[in-house]
Formats: sequence, structure tokens, C-alpha cells
Amino acid sequence: MSMDQQKALLFGAAAAVRLVLFTAFPSLPNLLAGRVEVSTPVTSFKRLQEGLFLYTHNVSPYDGGIYHQAPLLLPLFSLLPDPSYFPFATNLLYTAVDLLGAYALIQIAESGQSATPRLFQSSRKDMRWSSVAVAAGFLLNPFTVATCISHSTAALSNMFILTAMAKASQGAIITFAFALAVASYLSLHPVLLFPPLLFLCYDVRASRSTAAPKLALYALTLTAGFGAACGLLLYLSASLTGSWEFLMSTYGVRLLLPDLTPNVGLWWYFFIEMFDSFREFFLGVFWLHVASYMPGFTIRLRKQPLFAAMSLTGIFAIFTPYPSIADAALYLSLLPLFRHLFPLMRYTFLASAAILYASFLGPAFYYLWIYAGSGNANFFYAITLVWSLGLSIIVGDSLYAALRDELDVERPELRGKEVKRI
Amino acid sequence: MALLATLLALRKDPRIQRLPPYLSLIFIIVGVAWLLLLPLDEYSRETYVSENALLPGQVHTYFTGSEHNIFRAYRHEVAALADKPVEERSRALTDIFRSHNLKAATQKYTYQPSGRNITNQNVYAVLQGPRADATEALVLIAAWRNMDGEVNYSGVALVLTLARYFKRWSLWSKDIIFLISGDSTSGPQAWVDAYHNSHSPAAIDPLPIKSGALQGAIAIDYPAGPWGHRFDKLHIMYDGVNGQLSNLDLFNTAVNIANGQMGIGCTLQRMWSHKNTYQDRLQTMLRGMLSQGLGHASGPHSAFIPYHVDAITLQTVGDGWHDEMSLGRTVESLFRSLNNLLEHLHQSFFFYLLLHSMRFVSIGTYLPSAMLLAASFSISAIALWVQSGRPDLDTPVPNPASTHPSPQEKKSPSIEEEKKPTAMTEVHLDTHKTLIPSALLTTTERSLLYPTLFTLLSHTLGLLPLYLFNNTPPSYLPTLLNLSLVLSPALPLLTASFLSSSPPLRPTSQQTTLIQSFSLLLLGMFLAALATLNFSLAFLVGCLCSPLAFTRYLPGKKIASAAQTLLLAALNPVVVIRAACWFWGADVGDVVVRAAEGWHVWGLWTQVVVWEVWWPAWFAGGVVVGRGLFS
Repeated sequence: MSMDQQKALLFGAAAAVRLVLFTAFPSLPNLLAGRVEVSTPVTSFKRLQEGLFLYTHNVSPYDGGIYHQAPLLLPLFSLLPDPSYFPFATNLLYTAVDLLGAYALIQIAESGQSATPRLFQSSRKDMRWSSVAVAAGFLLNPFTVATCISHSTAALSNMFILTAMAKASQGAIITFAFALAVASYLSLHPVLLFPPLLFLCYDVRASRSTAAPKLALYALTLTAGFGAACGLLLYLSASLTGSWEFLMSTYGVRLLLPDLTPNVGLWWYFFIEMFDSFREFFLGVFWLHVASYMPGFTIRLRKQPLFAAMSLTGIFAIFTPYPSIADAALYLSLLPLFRHLFPLMRYTFLASAAILYASFLGPAFYYLWIYAGSGNANFFYAITLVWSLGLSIIVGDSLYAALRDELDVERPELRGKEVKRI
Repeated sequence: MALLATLLALRKDPRIQRLPPYLSLIFIIVGVAWLLLLPLDEYSRETYVSENALLPGQVHTYFTGSEHNIFRAYRHEVAALADKPVEERSRALTDIFRSHNLKAATQKYTYQPSGRNITNQNVYAVLQGPRADATEALVLIAAWRNMDGEVNYSGVALVLTLARYFKRWSLWSKDIIFLISGDSTSGPQAWVDAYHNSHSPAAIDPLPIKSGALQGAIAIDYPAGPWGHRFDKLHIMYDGVNGQLSNLDLFNTAVNIANGQMGIGCTLQRMWSHKNTYQDRLQTMLRGMLSQGLGHASGPHSAFIPYHVDAITLQTVGDGWHDEMSLGRTVESLFRSLNNLLEHLHQSFFFYLLLHSMRFVSIGTYLPSAMLLAASFSISAIALWVQSGRPDLDTPVPNPASTHPSPQEKKSPSIEEEKKPTAMTEVHLDTHKTLIPSALLTTTERSLLYPTLFTLLSHTLGLLPLYLFNNTPPSYLPTLLNLSLVLSPALPLLTASFLSSSPPLRPTSQQTTLIQSFSLLLLGMFLAALATLNFSLAFLVGCLCSPLAFTRYLPGKKIASAAQTLLLAALNPVVVIRAACWFWGADVGDVVVRAAEGWHVWGLWTQVVVWEVWWPAWFAGGVVVGRGLFS
């Protein structure tokens, strides 16, 4: 079977799976949209419906404090027919979003930026999965499917992050800047992906022409472009809603965490327990912690910018205030791009077992807490800890593998030797 | 860090790799032994009432004297209705409730589980508490027919009498709902579903009158005929559908009042004589676990528990000197206690095993045993994963460091081969060169796709019997069971021989090992999750699956493989269900019909566990072992 046939088959199968699930189980989207693991206050489709209702009735969508998502989603979704009567259009939109994300993933895989970036040739670069297999890992991942079925808007952010990565790995600066600007506009934290992807973009550009452009100038231009795109989106939002109040209800909520609905992350439980006087301090500390990975990864993994960006998505899935399985789905689908690192990873089984266990015990414990009334919040929080542990083992282990890979190239005589931490 | 490095170095030690089966065995033995220790005084506790507001047995009960005459009159009224059609019965009961100045209503319901037809009517009445604001309610239930199908003459008459009696009191701070359900399982289910608006409107009527949030429900099962019957003990049933239990405080309150205030002995789990010895306690606990594990409805109260309404059934047993008035006063005192509640019962345990009416074990003490069983599978899964990553699976390669020549080398003692140096790879860096043993540079790649797909398919295959057993008409169900009794044990062997005979599908040794690893990993995971929801079911399935952690793919060892196959065939879910029915003398056809009813009416999940957890794990294990026969 040729590559194109494989792609067509995969895309057809993935779309069929989604549409069949949508039609065979019409109550599934509502069920999943109500699950805390799938939709968070900042991505929930139910809240989007609420915002949409207010918007179409000429009330500010942020009145009532339910809706915390970007204003530009409202005109988009108000074009679609009401999903409670005619859900097909919405279903089709979300299916298309996933397929576009997979298409971007194929482009990333075909660019070869994962194993052979400009400054570094992995010694295992021949060990790779075909781009179709990588896309299949994204499209058929149960977490991606659940995100799509639940109509969570995180699916949109994921698609734009993947597109930004794809465009960066092709060196297409304008689309890259715009896609990342939309992703950041939708969910704020992707802005941290800008520095590593900037380097990726620069590396691709430099490897194409004999005379590499000046890095400083290139970075300045791209940053200006990115800033302009973000500014444009914010300006459009402001003119749409008529004021700048939306900033507080969207980014303010993401930054200040007023809504403590449980999710798979680590923040909500801490901030429920915390004394109010320490709240600002710990908000600062928690955000500083998330942000501090960005410079560290970007500098240390300068030779592998795509890997730095991927590891950052893993950090987002663990340490941002409102993570859901959609963030984990994004990270876990990017991981197969780095197939050449798998032989160097040491805890894959442990980490995947932890994630598997957590994804079954999580709903069970949530059920005990909320419905059966026989458990309590600690049950569910314990499982989110296991979930985060599983993800952080993968992030840490893949980082080890990437660094080990660099070491194998720099010091070939050390290959196969056990490393010791000092 | 040094410790970590030492531990990491241990990975390569062959002794570590031989450890897991023993570790699994120890986990299983400790898990089972743990359970056997629970009835001892040191590991169980005396029950106690944890919620202060209940104050059990602290009120004087006034249900005596002339109420007895009214009760006897109602008992004759009820007896006269026994052979009447349902509509007439409902009308008569409604009239009695209305004559007490209560709001009464009827509810029709129809269920059609797998082609059967269950149609009946519920009658209920609401007493608006004089001090209540209609936000909370208690339920007093008497099913028209009890679990054994006998007409509940005295139970229904007692509810009617108590309705009249309760109406005269001004102290109720909660509404009281009196429910005469058409039968003991579907009726309460239809009523409680409709009360919470989660019924299917086509087959079940909505409730015309409602009250507030249900705080508790007490069911009375007293099938003594129109001339009465004095009973010896109260049999308290407390387990709900899917093994959920009512709050222990409710059980304790009932025992406290019956025992302490009224002097009626209490018993549980059909232990008619309980001497509080180790053996009796263990038997009570095991019966309780079996009942919880099956997850079936054990009485009219069972339907309430999934809605987080704590409920128990009081059943009269034996011949003694307690009469209906003692039972009435017990119920009165129980309602006075529940009337005191300031909030939903939450203080005491929701997860417990009862050993005696005054002794229990809480979840913290018993949960480790099921978790140990689940962990034994996870350990085997990890061991098999590690084993699949070792290079010497298909062709054993001699250890290069060994000084003893291996048997293969003895056969062909050519000098070149013996002197052959370990394979080296040359590595260049600038002008330097270095030699590294090639073995250190290669890692064994695992092919994961085949085992993953196989495991997924075996779980998908489980959907077929799940569907068939729940949707076949009852007359064909025993045939279906007998058919699967033959087919199910043979299926892994057929699959194994098919896979072995068609080369593109034939799994390699590594893939076979990985199939077992994945299926055990999933089994361990499902059981660990299940243990938190229904401990008993997880424990039972864990015990029955325990051989799966030790059976192995043994290529070339036909006798060992055949023995393993036989062992697994004996532990096939269908065979086990059939054998259990034979052992307890239950009619197997009746069991499967009831299970299908449970699936459609009560929302029973036991079948899902059997066909989606137990059976796929067994099937994968059977195929892995069967591969040894056909290799």
C-alpha cells in the first residue's frame, strides 16, 4: 500500500470511529463533557454553550462567571446549528479538527526534525516510525478520541499547537507565528513554546540556505510577528465583546485559579487547602515553577529544539492549573516522533502501567467520592498524583534518553556504559 | 543515589529474575491468609453507633394496646386482597391510606428483561411531617410479595397500621413515605427510579406526589398469614445492588434497638444460629462476601442503596415469642432515631464486612488482601515484560563469560568457534578508535502491536457472551449456558491451534509472553479498581484467576502444557458458575434468568466483570498455554 493510501485509510478510519461513536451513543458527548478528567472550567463545552447563549442574546458572555474561554470561539460556534438539536455539524467540526492535527503531526514526522535537527545527528536516527504510524498514535489514542467526543475546546488548542510545530519544522514563519498565536490566545500556556519553536524555525531556515541569517535579527522579526498576531487576536476580541473585560475572565481565570473544580492536575487540591493569605504567594510559586522549565529546556536542549518543545507539552500536562487528558493526549502523541530514544528509556513499562492504572482508578475513585458518597476528595487526589507521577516519569525518562543520545554522539567511547548520577 | 545505583545494578542479577513467581505466590498466600485472620478478636472491632444524633433506643415506644386490634383487622383486610387482581388491590390499599388522611398514589410499572414480562403496581402514601418542610423524607416499605414469592401479609398490615399510628404524632421532622411495592426487587426499583426522575417513561409511570430527599429506608418482610406467627429473631439484610452497602450506623441502630430495647435477637446472612465463635464469624463473613460479590438485590431495600439512600430490610425468622407488636415498636423506635438525624448518614463506615451482629471489620483492615491478590498479577506482568526483553527467548545463546562450554558447543567442538571472541563494534572519534562489545549496544526490540491487538480483541470478544446472556429469551438461556459450557473451554485451544497453523498470524515466543504480560497487567489493574468498588467480587475473581499468574508458555513441553490447559479449563468462568450452582444446589437456569433481570432492571454490573475482566484474562491465559501444545 502506498503512503497516500495508508493516510487515506487512517484518516477515513479515524473519522469513522468518531462519527460512529457520535451517532451510536448520542448521550456520550454530554457524559464526557461532564467528566472532570475530560473537560475543565477553561475547556468545557457545556460552559461554551452557556457563553454562546449569553452572546446570542446580546449579554456579555462573561456575565455570570461560567464562561472562561476565548471570545473569538463564540462567533465560530454561533455559526453552527444548535448542537442539542442538530449535533452533526459540531461533530463534523471536531472530527475535522482532529484530522487537521493528525495532518500536522504527519508533517512534523516527515520533516525529520525529531531525529536529525541541524545541529545534531542521533546515532539511532534510522530507528523511526512512519509518519502514518505516528498519526495513528494520535488519532486512535483513546484520550484524543475522548477529548474529541466531549467537544472540549482543548482539541482546538491541540490542533493549533501541532500546526505551529509543523510549520516551525518546515520553516514557514508566518503560519507558524499565527498558529502559535492562536494556540496561545486559546489557552495561554502555549506561549511558552515560542522560544524552542523559534530555534527550530531558525535551524530549519539556516539549514536550507548556505548563509544563515543572523539569529538576533531573525528572533526579533519573528517575535514581532508573533506579538502582532497575538495583538490582532486580542484586539478583535475586544472589539467583539466591546471591552477589555474578557482578559480577566479568560486569562485571569487561568492565572489566578478562582474556579477550584477538581481536575487531573495538582493545583486544585492545594489551593482548596491553602490559607487565603498565602494564596498569592503560592500562585506565583506555582506559575514560576511551570514557566521555569522553558528556559532550562530551551538552553540545555538547544541542539534538539523540537524535543524541548515536546517535553514542554509534557510539563503542561502535569503542572498547569487546569490540565485534562487532552494535554496528556498531545504529549503522548508527540512522543512517538522520538522513536529513536525508546531503546534508551528505562521506565517505559512502569510509567505506562502507572498511567493505565490511574486512568481506570481515577473514574472509580471519583465515583466513590461524588456519587456513592463513600469516598472523599483524597481518593481522587491520590489518583491524580499517580497520573502525574506516570507522566513525569515519562518526561524525565525521555529527557534522560535525549541527553544520553547526545552523549553517545559526543563521546562514542562511553556508549553502552552505565551512567551514574553524581 | 548510591542505593539507587546498587538497585539498578541488581537488575542484571539472574536471581532477581527468578524471584517474581515466588513473590506472586507469597502475595496470594498472604492475601488469603489475611482474610482468614479477620474474624479474630484482634483484627475485628465491636460495632458502635457513630452518629450522635441517632440516640438509638432512647425513646419510649407507644405502639401497643389498641393498635394491636387495628393491626389484626388490617391483616384480615390484606388477606382478603391476596387473590384479587392487581388493580383492585391497589385501589383497596390506596383507600386505606386515604382513610388515614394521607396523600396516596399508585404507580404502574412494566419491565421486559430478555423477553419476560414483569408488570405490577406500587402503592404509596406520603405523611407530611408536622415539623417538616418537605425537604427530607424517610421510607417505610413492605413489598406485597417477599423475595421467596410469599405474600407479605403481616408486613403490609404492619405498614398500614404504622401509617395510621404515625399520622397522630406531631413530632416528625421529616416526611414519611409508606410504600407497598408490587414485588421485592423490580417494584422498589421502579419507584426509586421514578422518585429521582431517572425512569424510562414508556414503561414506568412517573410519581404524581413526591417529598424531599430520601434519608433512609426500612423494609419489613413478615409473611405470617392472617392468623399470625410469633418469630424468634430479626434477620437484617443490608447489601445493595452491585455490592454497595448501607451506612453501618443504620445497621447498628437497628441492632441496638432490636437487641437492647426490645430484646429481639438479630442475625445476618442467614446464619440462624450464631455462637460468635471463629468458625461462625468466618462463615458469616464469607456468606456476606459471596452475596456482595454477586451484587444481586437481596431485598426491597437494595434498590435504594445505589441512590445513596441507606436502607435495610428487617425479616422475621424462626419460631419464638416475639409478636408483630414488638416488630412495630422496633420500627417505631428506629424511625424516631432516624427522625433525629440532622444530616445524611455519613459518620460511620460504608465499606465493611460484618462477622456478627455486633462485630465488623472496616475497609482499612480488609482491603490489603484484595490488593495483594491484584498486585500478584501486576508482579507477574512486570516479570513477563522483563523476560520478553531478554535476547535469549527464541534461540538460547551461551553466556560469553561462562567458562563451561554449553551443550551445543560440545556437539561441534571446532576450534574457531570456541576461540571466537565476543563481537565488538569499532567506534571512531576524530582520530581515536575504541572497541565496545556489540551486546551492550543492542537492545531487544519488543513488537508490541500484535500483543496489544490480541488483548484488545479478547476483551472485545467478551462482549459477545455479555450481549447473548442478557438478551436471550429465558427459555433458551439454559441451552445457551450448556453450549458455552462446551465452547468456552475449547475456544482458547481452537484459537491456539489456528494461530499456530497459519504462519502470518503465529505469534513469536516474545509476542506470546507479551500477550500474557498485557493481559495480566490489565487483570491486575481491573481488580485493583474493582476492589475499591466491590471488594468481595474483586477478591473472588482474584482467587479464581490466581493460577493465571503462574501458568507459562512452555514450548516443547507438551505434558506440562496439557496439565496447565486442564487446570485452566476447570477454572473457566462458565464452568465455575455451573459448578457453584451445583454446589449450592441453585437452579442454573434460574440464576442466569435472574442475572438478565438484574442487568436490565437493577443495573447489575457483575456480568461486565465476568465477561470483560475475568473471561478475557482467562482466554488470553488459555491461548498462551495452548500455544505450548501446538508449538
